Amino acid sequence: MRSRSRRSILPPLSDDEALEAARIASAVGAPVEPVALGRRRPFRAPHHTISTAGLVGGGVPPRPGEATIAHRGVLFLDELPEFNRDALEALRQPLEAGRVLIARARHRVELPCRFQLVAAANPCPCGRGASSGDCTCPPQAVARYEAKLTGALSDRLDLAIAVEQPDLTALADERPEDSATVRERVIAARERQEARNGGRANAEVPSESIVLGPGLQRLLADRGGALGLSGRGRARVIRVARTIADLDGAEEVGEEHLLEALHLRRRHER
Amino acid sequence: MTWKLEGERLPAPLADLGRRAPQALHGLGDRELVRTLESADAVTIVGSRHPSAYGLRVAGELAYELASAGVVVVSGMAIGIDAAAHRGALEAGGRTVAVLGCGPDVVYPRRERALHARIADAGAIVAEYEPGTPAAPHQFPERNRIMAALGGVVVVVEAKDPSGSLITAHDAIHLGRTVAAVPGPVGVAASAGTNRLIKDGAEVARDSRDVLDLLFGVGASEPLGAYDPRPRGPRLGPLQARVLDAVGSGRAGPDQVAVALSVTPREAAVALAQLELMGYVEVDGAGAYARTPLAEPDSS
Repeated sequence: MRSRSRRSILPPLSDDEALEAARIASAVGAPVEPVALGRRRPFRAPHHTISTAGLVGGGVPPRPGEATIAHRGVLFLDELPEFNRDALEALRQPLEAGRVLIARARHRVELPCRFQLVAAANPCPCGRGASSGDCTCPPQAVARYEAKLTGALSDRLDLAIAVEQPDLTALADERPEDSATVRERVIAARERQEARNGGRANAEVPSESIVLGPGLQRLLADRGGALGLSGRGRARVIRVARTIADLDGAEEVGEEHLLEALHLRRRHER
Repeated sequence: MTWKLEGERLPAPLADLGRRAPQALHGLGDRELVRTLESADAVTIVGSRHPSAYGLRVAGELAYELASAGVVVVSGMAIGIDAAAHRGALEAGGRTVAVLGCGPDVVYPRRERALHARIADAGAIVAEYEPGTPAAPHQFPERNRIMAALGGVVVVVEAKDPSGSLITAHDAIHLGRTVAAVPGPVGVAASAGTNRLIKDGAEVARDSRDVLDLLFGVGASEPLGAYDPRPRGPRLGPLQARVLDAVGSGRAGPDQVAVALSVTPREAAVALAQLELMGYVEVDGAGAYARTPLAEPDSS
Protein backbone atom coordinates (compact mmCIF):
# COMPACT_ATOMS: atom_id res chain seq x y z
CA MET A 1 0.00 0.00 0.00
CA ARG A 2 2.83 2.35 0.84
CA SER A 3 4.31 1.71 -2.56
CA ARG A 4 1.04 2.39 -4.35
CA SER A 5 0.41 5.62 -2.49
CA ARG A 6 3.81 6.81 -3.63
CA ARG A 7 2.50 8.47 -6.76
CA SER A 8 0.10 10.64 -4.78
CA ILE A 9 2.99 12.38 -2.99
CA LEU A 10 5.07 13.08 -6.09
CA PRO A 11 5.09 16.58 -7.60
CA PRO A 12 2.97 17.03 -10.77
CA LEU A 13 4.56 16.68 -14.20
CA SER A 14 6.05 19.87 -15.62
CA ASP A 15 5.04 21.03 -19.10
CA ASP A 16 7.98 19.31 -20.80
CA GLU A 17 7.61 16.14 -18.77
CA ALA A 18 3.88 15.98 -19.50
CA LEU A 19 4.61 16.26 -23.21
CA GLU A 20 7.14 13.43 -23.11
CA ALA A 21 4.87 11.20 -21.06
CA ALA A 22 1.91 11.93 -23.34
CA ARG A 23 3.91 10.93 -26.44
CA ILE A 24 4.86 7.65 -24.84
CA ALA A 25 1.31 6.97 -23.68
CA SER A 26 0.01 7.67 -27.13
CA ALA A 27 2.63 5.41 -28.73
CA VAL A 28 1.63 2.42 -26.59
CA GLY A 29 -2.09 3.13 -26.79
CA ALA A 30 -2.46 4.10 -23.13
CA PRO A 31 -4.81 6.93 -22.07
CA VAL A 32 -3.10 10.26 -22.71
CA GLU A 33 -5.39 12.48 -20.72
CA PRO A 34 -4.21 11.71 -17.15
CA VAL A 35 -0.62 12.63 -18.01
CA ALA A 36 -1.27 15.47 -20.45
CA LEU A 37 -4.04 17.26 -18.59
CA GLY A 38 -4.07 15.68 -15.12
CA ARG A 39 -0.27 15.95 -14.93
CA ARG A 40 -0.29 12.65 -13.07
CA ARG A 41 2.92 10.71 -13.09
CA PRO A 42 2.72 7.23 -14.63
CA PHE A 43 2.67 4.30 -12.20
CA ARG A 44 3.52 0.90 -13.63
CA ALA A 45 3.42 -2.34 -11.65
CA PRO A 46 4.25 -5.23 -13.99
CA HIS A 47 3.72 -8.79 -12.76
CA HIS A 48 6.85 -10.72 -11.83
CA THR A 49 6.43 -13.13 -14.76
CA ILE A 50 7.21 -10.29 -17.21
CA SER A 51 9.79 -10.98 -19.93
CA THR A 52 12.95 -8.98 -20.48
CA ALA A 53 11.45 -7.41 -23.62
CA GLY A 54 8.28 -6.55 -21.73
CA LEU A 55 10.27 -4.79 -19.03
CA VAL A 56 12.87 -2.82 -20.97
CA GLY A 57 11.37 -2.93 -24.46
CA GLY A 58 12.10 -5.00 -27.56
CA GLY A 59 10.48 -7.08 -30.25
CA VAL A 60 10.14 -6.50 -33.98
CA PRO A 61 9.20 -3.81 -34.60
CA PRO A 62 10.53 -2.58 -31.25
CA ARG A 63 7.94 -1.65 -28.65
CA PRO A 64 8.56 0.34 -25.50
CA GLY A 65 8.77 -1.69 -22.30
CA GLU A 66 7.33 -0.94 -18.87
CA ALA A 67 10.49 1.02 -18.03
CA THR A 68 9.72 3.50 -20.78
CA ILE A 69 5.99 3.63 -20.07
CA ALA A 70 6.96 4.55 -16.50
CA HIS A 71 9.14 7.42 -17.77
CA ARG A 72 8.92 10.40 -15.35
CA GLY A 73 6.86 8.23 -13.04
CA VAL A 74 7.18 5.15 -10.86
CA LEU A 75 8.08 1.60 -11.84
CA PHE A 76 6.98 -0.70 -9.01
CA LEU A 77 8.33 -4.25 -8.84
CA ASP A 78 6.39 -6.21 -6.23
CA GLU A 79 8.05 -9.45 -5.00
CA LEU A 80 11.41 -8.41 -6.46
CA PRO A 81 13.15 -11.80 -5.90
CA GLU A 82 10.46 -13.53 -7.99
CA PHE A 83 11.36 -11.57 -11.12
CA ASN A 84 13.35 -13.23 -13.85
CA ARG A 85 17.00 -12.56 -13.20
CA ASP A 86 17.77 -11.63 -16.81
CA ALA A 87 14.97 -9.07 -16.86
CA LEU A 88 16.32 -7.43 -13.70
CA GLU A 89 19.86 -7.45 -15.06
CA ALA A 90 18.61 -5.78 -18.24
CA LEU A 91 17.14 -2.99 -16.12
CA ARG A 92 20.49 -2.02 -14.59
CA GLN A 93 21.97 0.02 -17.39
CA PRO A 94 18.76 1.89 -18.35
CA LEU A 95 18.29 2.71 -14.68
CA GLU A 96 21.67 4.40 -14.59
CA ALA A 97 21.43 6.13 -17.97
CA GLY A 98 17.75 7.08 -18.05
CA ARG A 99 17.64 5.74 -21.62
CA VAL A 100 17.32 2.31 -23.14
CA LEU A 101 18.78 1.30 -26.47
CA ILE A 102 16.96 -1.42 -28.36
CA ALA A 103 19.06 -2.74 -31.22
CA ARG A 104 17.61 -5.23 -33.68
CA ALA A 105 18.80 -6.28 -37.14
CA ARG A 106 16.83 -3.57 -38.89
CA HIS A 107 15.92 -1.26 -36.07
CA ARG A 108 17.83 0.77 -33.60
CA VAL A 109 15.79 2.88 -31.26
CA GLU A 110 16.63 4.75 -28.15
CA LEU A 111 13.78 5.32 -25.72
CA PRO A 112 13.68 7.46 -22.59
CA CYS A 113 13.14 5.70 -19.25
CA ARG A 114 13.85 8.05 -16.36
CA PHE A 115 11.66 6.51 -13.69
CA GLN A 116 11.73 6.05 -9.95
CA LEU A 117 12.22 2.39 -9.08
CA VAL A 118 10.25 1.08 -6.13
CA ALA A 119 10.56 -2.59 -5.19
CA ALA A 120 9.07 -4.74 -2.46
CA ALA A 121 10.19 -8.09 -1.08
CA ASN A 122 9.44 -10.35 1.83
CA PRO A 123 12.24 -10.75 4.40
CA CYS A 124 12.28 -14.51 3.65
CA PRO A 125 10.16 -16.93 1.58
CA CYS A 126 7.57 -17.51 4.34
CA GLY A 127 7.40 -13.78 5.01
CA ARG A 128 7.88 -13.86 8.78
CA GLY A 129 11.56 -12.96 8.72
CA ALA A 130 14.45 -15.32 9.37
CA SER A 131 15.40 -13.71 12.68
CA SER A 132 11.84 -13.37 14.03
CA GLY A 133 11.75 -16.75 15.78
CA ASP A 134 8.56 -17.60 13.86
CA CYS A 135 10.16 -18.32 10.48
CA THR A 136 9.39 -21.73 8.98
CA CYS A 137 11.72 -21.58 5.98
CA PRO A 138 14.50 -24.14 5.61
CA PRO A 139 17.80 -22.32 6.24
CA GLN A 140 19.02 -23.11 2.71
CA ALA A 141 15.92 -21.46 1.24
CA VAL A 142 16.56 -18.35 3.31
CA ALA A 143 20.16 -18.21 2.07
CA ARG A 144 19.05 -18.57 -1.55
CA TYR A 145 16.42 -15.88 -1.11
CA GLU A 146 18.87 -13.47 0.49
CA ALA A 147 21.34 -14.08 -2.32
CA LYS A 148 18.66 -13.12 -4.84
CA LEU A 149 17.77 -10.03 -2.86
CA THR A 150 21.33 -8.83 -2.54
CA GLY A 151 22.17 -9.52 -6.18
CA ALA A 152 20.29 -8.05 -9.10
CA LEU A 153 19.30 -4.47 -8.50
CA SER A 154 19.77 -3.94 -4.81
CA ASP A 155 23.00 -1.98 -5.18
CA ARG A 156 21.06 0.59 -7.19
CA LEU A 157 18.54 1.24 -4.45
CA ASP A 158 19.02 4.37 -2.35
CA LEU A 159 16.50 3.71 0.38
CA ALA A 160 15.63 0.46 2.14
CA ILE A 161 12.80 0.46 4.62
CA ALA A 162 11.81 -2.47 6.80
CA VAL A 163 8.02 -2.52 6.79
CA GLU A 164 6.99 -4.01 10.10
CA GLN A 165 3.72 -5.55 11.14
CA PRO A 166 1.67 -2.51 12.12
CA ASP A 167 0.80 -2.53 15.78
CA LEU A 168 -2.94 -1.87 15.71
CA THR A 169 -3.14 -0.10 19.05
CA ALA A 170 -0.34 2.22 17.99
CA LEU A 171 -2.03 2.99 14.70
CA ALA A 172 -5.33 3.83 16.36
CA ASP A 173 -4.15 6.86 18.29
CA GLU A 174 -1.73 8.16 15.74
CA ARG A 175 -2.99 10.27 12.88
CA PRO A 176 -0.61 9.86 9.95
CA GLU A 177 -0.02 12.80 7.64
CA ASP A 178 -2.27 12.60 4.60
CA SER A 179 -0.79 12.41 1.12
CA ALA A 180 -1.67 16.00 0.26
CA THR A 181 0.36 17.34 3.20
CA VAL A 182 3.32 15.15 2.32
CA ARG A 183 3.05 16.17 -1.28
CA GLU A 184 3.33 19.83 -0.34
CA ARG A 185 6.54 19.11 1.52
CA VAL A 186 7.87 17.15 -1.45
CA ILE A 187 7.08 19.98 -3.84
CA ALA A 188 8.75 22.51 -1.52
CA ALA A 189 11.84 20.31 -1.21
CA ARG A 190 11.96 19.84 -4.95
CA GLU A 191 11.80 23.60 -5.51
CA ARG A 192 14.61 24.12 -3.02
CA GLN A 193 16.75 21.56 -4.85
CA GLU A 194 16.05 23.02 -8.26
CA ALA A 195 16.86 26.54 -7.09
CA ARG A 196 20.18 25.33 -5.68
CA ASN A 197 21.15 22.90 -8.45
CA GLY A 198 20.15 24.98 -11.47
CA GLY A 199 16.91 23.16 -12.16
CA ARG A 200 18.05 19.65 -11.29
CA ALA A 201 17.05 17.24 -8.56
CA ASN A 202 19.65 16.02 -6.04
CA ALA A 203 19.69 12.62 -7.77
CA GLU A 204 21.05 14.28 -10.91
CA VAL A 205 23.96 16.25 -9.47
CA PRO A 206 27.45 14.93 -8.67
CA SER A 207 27.72 14.15 -4.97
CA GLU A 208 30.92 16.26 -4.77
CA SER A 209 28.83 19.37 -5.39
CA ILE A 210 26.89 18.72 -2.18
CA VAL A 211 28.42 20.61 0.72
CA LEU A 212 29.02 18.73 3.97
CA GLY A 213 30.43 20.37 7.08
CA PRO A 214 33.89 19.20 8.23
CA GLY A 215 32.37 17.24 11.15
CA LEU A 216 30.14 15.24 8.83
CA GLN A 217 32.95 14.59 6.37
CA ARG A 218 35.00 13.22 9.23
CA LEU A 219 32.09 11.06 10.38
CA LEU A 220 31.75 9.55 6.90
CA ALA A 221 35.50 9.10 6.51
CA ASP A 222 35.97 7.57 9.97
CA ARG A 223 32.95 5.31 10.10
CA GLY A 224 32.13 4.77 6.43
CA GLY A 225 34.84 2.13 6.20
CA ALA A 226 33.56 0.32 9.28
CA LEU A 227 30.11 0.20 7.73
CA GLY A 228 31.47 -1.18 4.46
CA LEU A 229 30.47 1.90 2.49
CA SER A 230 31.81 1.86 -1.08
CA GLY A 231 32.48 4.99 -3.12
CA ARG A 232 29.16 4.61 -4.83
CA GLY A 233 27.42 3.97 -1.52
CA ARG A 234 29.01 7.09 -0.06
CA ALA A 235 27.78 9.24 -2.95
CA ARG A 236 24.28 7.85 -2.52
CA VAL A 237 24.24 8.47 1.22
CA ILE A 238 25.30 12.10 0.66
CA ARG A 239 22.53 12.69 -1.90
CA VAL A 240 19.92 11.15 0.37
CA ALA A 241 21.14 13.22 3.34
CA ARG A 242 20.85 16.39 1.23
CA THR A 243 17.28 15.42 0.26
CA ILE A 244 16.28 14.77 3.88
CA ALA A 245 17.67 18.21 4.75
CA ASP A 246 15.61 19.70 1.91
CA LEU A 247 12.47 18.02 3.24
CA ASP A 248 13.28 19.59 6.60
CA GLY A 249 13.73 22.98 4.96
CA ALA A 250 17.31 23.08 6.26
CA GLU A 251 20.00 25.15 4.53
CA GLU A 252 22.79 22.81 5.54
CA VAL A 253 23.01 19.05 5.94
CA GLY A 254 22.98 18.31 9.67
CA GLU A 255 24.27 15.31 11.57
CA GLU A 256 20.81 13.86 12.04
CA HIS A 257 20.16 14.09 8.29
CA LEU A 258 23.32 12.16 7.57
CA LEU A 259 22.55 9.57 10.26
CA GLU A 260 19.05 9.04 8.92
CA ALA A 261 20.47 8.60 5.42
CA LEU A 262 22.92 5.99 6.75
CA HIS A 263 20.02 4.24 8.45
CA LEU A 264 18.07 4.09 5.19
CA ARG A 265 20.98 2.70 3.24
CA ARG A 266 20.70 -0.81 1.92
CA ARG A 267 22.89 -3.17 3.99
CA HIS A 268 24.11 -5.47 1.24
CA GLU A 269 27.53 -3.93 0.95
CA ARG A 270 29.07 -5.56 3.93
CA MET B 1 43.23 -38.02 9.58
CA THR B 2 40.16 -39.52 11.19
CA TRP B 3 40.51 -41.67 14.26
CA LYS B 4 38.34 -44.19 16.04
CA LEU B 5 37.56 -44.79 19.69
CA GLU B 6 35.87 -47.99 20.84
CA GLY B 7 35.32 -50.17 23.87
CA GLU B 8 37.26 -48.96 26.90
CA ARG B 9 38.42 -45.88 25.08
CA LEU B 10 34.97 -44.44 24.50
CA PRO B 11 34.33 -41.35 26.62
CA ALA B 12 32.97 -42.40 30.03
CA PRO B 13 29.63 -40.53 29.89
CA LEU B 14 28.47 -42.72 26.99
CA ALA B 15 28.33 -45.72 29.34
CA ASP B 16 25.13 -44.22 30.79
CA LEU B 17 23.44 -44.99 27.47
CA GLY B 18 23.68 -48.71 28.32
CA ARG B 19 22.55 -50.80 25.39
CA ARG B 20 21.98 -47.65 23.35
CA ALA B 21 25.66 -46.72 23.57
CA PRO B 22 27.42 -46.45 20.20
CA GLN B 23 29.80 -49.23 19.19
CA ALA B 24 32.47 -46.75 18.31
CA LEU B 25 33.08 -43.06 17.78
CA HIS B 26 34.83 -41.83 14.66
CA GLY B 27 36.46 -38.47 15.00
CA LEU B 28 38.50 -35.62 13.65
CA GLY B 29 40.65 -33.23 15.66
CA ASP B 30 41.58 -33.53 19.33
CA ARG B 31 41.24 -37.23 20.17
CA GLU B 32 42.37 -36.89 23.79
CA LEU B 33 39.74 -34.22 24.43
CA VAL B 34 37.05 -36.74 23.48
CA ARG B 35 38.60 -39.79 25.15
CA THR B 36 38.95 -38.05 28.52
CA LEU B 37 35.69 -36.11 28.33
CA GLU B 38 33.75 -36.12 31.64
CA SER B 39 30.13 -35.05 31.80
CA ALA B 40 31.05 -33.16 34.98
CA ASP B 41 32.88 -30.54 32.95
CA ALA B 42 30.93 -30.49 29.72
CA VAL B 43 27.75 -28.65 28.78
CA THR B 44 25.63 -29.51 25.75
CA ILE B 45 23.96 -26.53 24.05
CA VAL B 46 21.22 -27.28 21.54
CA GLY B 47 18.44 -25.31 19.88
CA SER B 48 16.46 -24.34 16.86
CA ARG B 49 17.67 -24.18 13.29
CA HIS B 50 15.33 -21.18 12.93
CA PRO B 51 16.47 -19.10 15.88
CA SER B 52 15.64 -15.49 16.53
CA ALA B 53 18.36 -12.87 16.80
CA TYR B 54 17.85 -13.12 20.58
CA GLY B 55 18.49 -16.88 20.59
CA LEU B 56 21.64 -16.55 18.52
CA ARG B 57 23.03 -13.90 20.84
CA VAL B 58 22.24 -15.88 23.99
CA ALA B 59 23.72 -19.10 22.54
CA GLY B 60 26.92 -17.30 21.55
CA GLU B 61 27.29 -15.58 24.92
CA LEU B 62 26.56 -18.71 26.94
CA ALA B 63 29.09 -20.73 24.97
CA TYR B 64 31.71 -17.97 25.14
CA GLU B 65 31.42 -17.63 28.90
CA LEU B 66 31.20 -21.36 29.61
CA ALA B 67 34.22 -22.05 27.41
CA SER B 68 36.08 -19.21 29.11
CA ALA B 69 35.37 -20.94 32.42
CA GLY B 70 37.01 -24.12 31.09
CA VAL B 71 33.83 -26.00 30.26
CA VAL B 72 33.74 -28.13 27.09
CA VAL B 73 30.86 -26.96 24.89
CA VAL B 74 29.14 -29.84 23.07
CA SER B 75 26.70 -29.24 20.22
CA GLY B 76 25.55 -30.60 16.86
CA MET B 77 26.92 -28.08 14.33
CA ALA B 78 23.45 -27.49 12.85
CA ILE B 79 22.69 -24.09 11.37
CA GLY B 80 21.37 -21.69 13.99
CA ILE B 81 21.81 -22.20 17.73
CA ASP B 82 24.28 -25.10 17.42
CA ALA B 83 26.60 -23.17 15.12
CA ALA B 84 26.37 -20.05 17.32
CA ALA B 85 27.36 -22.15 20.36
CA HIS B 86 30.42 -23.62 18.63
CA ARG B 87 31.45 -20.18 17.41
CA GLY B 88 31.09 -18.66 20.86
CA ALA B 89 33.31 -21.36 22.37
CA LEU B 90 35.92 -20.97 19.62
CA GLU B 91 35.96 -17.20 20.01
CA ALA B 92 36.72 -17.63 23.70
CA GLY B 93 39.66 -19.83 22.75
CA GLY B 94 37.89 -22.68 24.54
CA ARG B 95 37.20 -26.32 23.79
CA THR B 96 34.22 -27.52 21.81
CA VAL B 97 33.00 -30.87 20.46
CA ALA B 98 30.59 -31.28 17.54
CA VAL B 99 28.51 -34.47 17.30
CA LEU B 100 27.40 -35.09 13.72
CA GLY B 101 24.65 -37.17 12.14
CA CYS B 102 26.99 -38.19 9.30
CA GLY B 103 30.63 -39.21 9.03
CA PRO B 104 32.90 -36.84 11.01
CA ASP B 105 34.70 -35.81 7.82
CA VAL B 106 31.45 -35.05 5.96
CA VAL B 107 30.55 -31.37 6.08
CA TYR B 108 26.84 -31.14 6.73
CA PRO B 109 25.33 -28.60 6.47
CA ARG B 110 27.71 -27.63 3.69
CA ARG B 111 27.56 -23.91 4.32
CA GLU B 112 29.21 -24.50 7.70
CA ARG B 113 32.41 -25.66 5.97
CA ALA B 114 34.51 -22.98 7.64
CA LEU B 115 33.10 -23.83 11.07
CA HIS B 116 33.75 -27.55 10.50
CA ALA B 117 37.39 -26.77 9.77
CA ARG B 118 37.74 -24.51 12.82
CA ILE B 119 36.24 -27.08 15.18
CA ALA B 120 38.45 -29.85 13.76
CA ASP B 121 41.39 -27.55 14.33
CA ALA B 122 40.67 -26.29 17.85
CA GLY B 123 38.34 -28.97 19.23
CA ALA B 124 36.93 -32.25 17.98
CA ILE B 125 34.23 -33.57 15.67
CA VAL B 126 32.75 -37.00 16.40
CA ALA B 127 30.08 -39.32 15.00
CA GLU B 128 29.11 -42.94 15.40
CA TYR B 129 29.13 -43.22 11.60
CA GLU B 130 32.12 -44.30 9.54
CA PRO B 131 34.05 -41.54 7.77
CA GLY B 132 32.39 -40.74 4.47
CA THR B 133 28.86 -41.69 5.61
CA PRO B 134 26.46 -39.18 4.06
CA ALA B 135 23.81 -37.40 6.12
CA ALA B 136 20.46 -39.21 6.36
CA PRO B 137 17.34 -38.01 8.17
CA HIS B 138 17.13 -40.88 10.70
CA GLN B 139 20.72 -40.36 11.81
CA PHE B 140 20.07 -36.96 13.37
CA PRO B 141 17.65 -38.11 16.11
CA GLU B 142 20.13 -40.97 16.76
CA ARG B 143 23.04 -38.64 17.32
CA ASN B 144 20.94 -36.55 19.71
CA ARG B 145 21.33 -39.24 22.38
CA ILE B 146 25.13 -38.91 22.18
CA MET B 147 24.93 -35.13 22.60
CA ALA B 148 22.57 -35.62 25.54
CA ALA B 149 24.95 -38.09 27.21
CA LEU B 150 28.18 -36.07 26.81
CA GLY B 151 27.13 -32.95 28.72
CA GLY B 152 26.44 -32.89 32.46
CA VAL B 153 23.94 -30.12 31.77
CA VAL B 154 21.92 -29.85 28.57
CA VAL B 155 20.92 -26.26 27.80
CA VAL B 156 18.14 -25.71 25.27
CA VAL B 157 18.38 -22.15 23.97
CA GLU B 158 15.41 -21.96 21.63
CA ALA B 159 13.21 -24.81 20.44
CA LYS B 160 9.89 -25.17 18.74
CA ASP B 161 7.34 -27.62 20.04
CA PRO B 162 7.79 -30.35 18.90
CA SER B 163 11.40 -30.32 17.73
CA GLY B 164 14.66 -32.25 17.66
CA SER B 165 16.00 -30.15 20.52
CA LEU B 166 13.16 -31.37 22.74
CA ILE B 167 14.05 -34.96 21.79
CA THR B 168 17.59 -34.26 22.98
CA ALA B 169 16.17 -32.80 26.21
CA HIS B 170 14.07 -35.90 26.83
CA ASP B 171 17.03 -38.17 26.13
CA ALA B 172 18.97 -36.15 28.68
CA ILE B 173 16.25 -36.50 31.33
CA HIS B 174 16.24 -40.29 30.90
CA LEU B 175 20.01 -40.33 31.30
CA GLY B 176 19.75 -38.35 34.55
CA ARG B 177 21.34 -35.27 33.08
CA THR B 178 20.22 -31.81 34.19
CA VAL B 179 18.10 -30.06 31.60
CA ALA B 180 17.97 -26.27 31.54
CA ALA B 181 16.09 -23.99 29.17
CA VAL B 182 16.58 -20.34 28.27
CA PRO B 183 13.27 -18.51 28.74
CA GLY B 184 11.94 -16.66 25.73
CA PRO B 185 9.01 -14.41 24.83
CA VAL B 186 5.56 -15.98 25.02
CA GLY B 187 3.83 -16.43 21.67
CA VAL B 188 6.96 -16.77 19.55
CA ALA B 189 7.30 -20.20 17.92
CA ALA B 190 11.05 -20.41 18.57
CA SER B 191 10.46 -20.20 22.34
CA ALA B 192 7.39 -22.46 22.62
CA GLY B 193 9.47 -25.58 23.33
CA THR B 194 11.85 -23.97 25.81
CA ASN B 195 9.05 -22.25 27.73
CA ARG B 196 7.21 -25.58 27.95
CA LEU B 197 10.34 -27.27 29.30
CA ILE B 198 10.42 -24.65 32.05
CA LYS B 199 6.73 -25.17 32.78
CA ASP B 200 7.42 -28.92 32.98
CA GLY B 201 10.11 -28.37 35.58
CA ALA B 202 13.35 -27.83 33.69
CA GLU B 203 15.95 -25.53 35.24
CA VAL B 204 16.02 -21.92 34.04
CA ALA B 205 19.24 -20.75 32.38
CA ARG B 206 19.37 -16.97 32.31
CA ASP B 207 23.11 -16.74 31.88
CA SER B 208 26.33 -18.70 32.15
CA ARG B 209 26.31 -18.29 35.95
CA ASP B 210 23.05 -20.27 36.17
CA VAL B 211 24.59 -23.05 34.08
CA LEU B 212 27.85 -23.10 36.05
CA ASP B 213 25.82 -23.32 39.27
CA LEU B 214 24.01 -26.37 37.88
CA LEU B 215 27.23 -27.99 36.78
CA PHE B 216 29.49 -27.33 39.76
CA GLY B 217 27.02 -26.45 42.54
CA VAL B 218 25.84 -23.02 43.57
CA GLY B 219 28.71 -20.60 44.15
CA ALA B 220 31.43 -23.14 43.31
CA SER B 221 32.28 -21.15 40.23
CA GLU B 222 32.58 -17.85 42.09
CA PRO B 223 35.91 -16.64 40.65
CA LEU B 224 34.42 -16.95 37.21
CA GLY B 225 31.24 -15.14 38.08
CA ALA B 226 32.86 -11.73 37.87
CA TYR B 227 34.37 -12.57 34.54
CA ASP B 228 32.75 -10.65 31.73
CA PRO B 229 34.79 -11.00 28.57
CA ARG B 230 32.60 -8.77 26.47
CA PRO B 231 34.26 -5.66 25.06
CA ARG B 232 32.99 -2.33 26.34
CA GLY B 233 31.62 0.35 24.07
CA PRO B 234 31.47 4.14 24.36
CA ARG B 235 29.13 5.85 26.83
CA LEU B 236 25.50 6.25 25.72
CA GLY B 237 23.07 9.15 25.85
CA PRO B 238 19.72 8.56 27.60
CA LEU B 239 17.71 7.96 24.40
CA GLN B 240 20.44 5.75 22.95
CA ALA B 241 20.40 3.64 26.12
CA ARG B 242 16.62 3.23 25.94
CA VAL B 243 16.76 2.32 22.25
CA LEU B 244 19.53 -0.22 22.91
CA ASP B 245 17.40 -1.73 25.66
CA ALA B 246 14.42 -1.98 23.31
CA VAL B 247 16.52 -3.74 20.66
CA GLY B 248 17.93 -6.09 23.30
CA SER B 249 14.44 -7.08 24.35
CA GLY B 250 13.53 -8.09 20.84
CA ARG B 251 12.01 -4.95 19.30
CA ALA B 252 13.93 -5.38 16.12
CA GLY B 253 12.73 -2.64 13.77
CA PRO B 254 12.77 1.16 13.88
CA ASP B 255 8.96 1.37 13.93
CA GLN B 256 8.69 -1.04 16.85
CA VAL B 257 11.35 0.91 18.73
CA ALA B 258 9.53 4.17 18.04
CA VAL B 259 6.18 2.79 19.24
CA ALA B 260 7.68 1.16 22.34
CA LEU B 261 9.48 4.30 23.44
CA SER B 262 6.90 6.85 22.19
CA VAL B 263 9.44 8.68 20.05
CA THR B 264 9.18 9.63 16.40
CA PRO B 265 10.40 7.16 13.75
CA ARG B 266 13.03 9.74 12.83
CA GLU B 267 14.40 9.86 16.39
CA ALA B 268 14.45 6.06 16.51
CA ALA B 269 16.21 5.87 13.14
CA VAL B 270 18.86 8.39 14.14
CA ALA B 271 19.51 6.62 17.47
CA LEU B 272 19.78 3.25 15.71
CA ALA B 273 22.24 4.68 13.19
CA GLN B 274 24.32 6.11 16.05
CA LEU B 275 24.26 2.78 17.88
CA GLU B 276 25.31 1.01 14.70
CA LEU B 277 28.20 3.43 14.23
CA MET B 278 29.28 2.81 17.83
CA GLY B 279 29.12 -0.94 17.22
CA TYR B 280 26.30 -1.76 19.64
CA VAL B 281 23.84 -3.07 17.05
CA GLU B 282 23.89 -4.77 13.67
CA VAL B 283 21.22 -4.85 11.02
CA ASP B 284 20.37 -7.77 8.71
CA GLY B 285 19.35 -7.64 5.07
CA ALA B 286 15.68 -7.46 6.06
CA GLY B 287 16.26 -4.37 8.21
CA ALA B 288 15.98 -6.10 11.60
CA TYR B 289 18.38 -4.85 14.28
CA ALA B 290 20.11 -7.05 16.84
CA ARG B 291 22.59 -6.37 19.64
CA THR B 292 26.23 -7.21 19.16
CA PRO B 293 28.32 -8.63 22.07
CA LEU B 294 29.52 -5.10 22.83
CA ALA B 295 28.49 -4.15 26.38
CA GLU B 296 27.70 -0.75 27.87
CA PRO B 297 30.58 0.76 29.87
CA ASP B 298 28.76 1.00 33.21
CA SER B 299 26.76 -2.26 33.17
CA SER B 300 27.78 -4.92 35.64
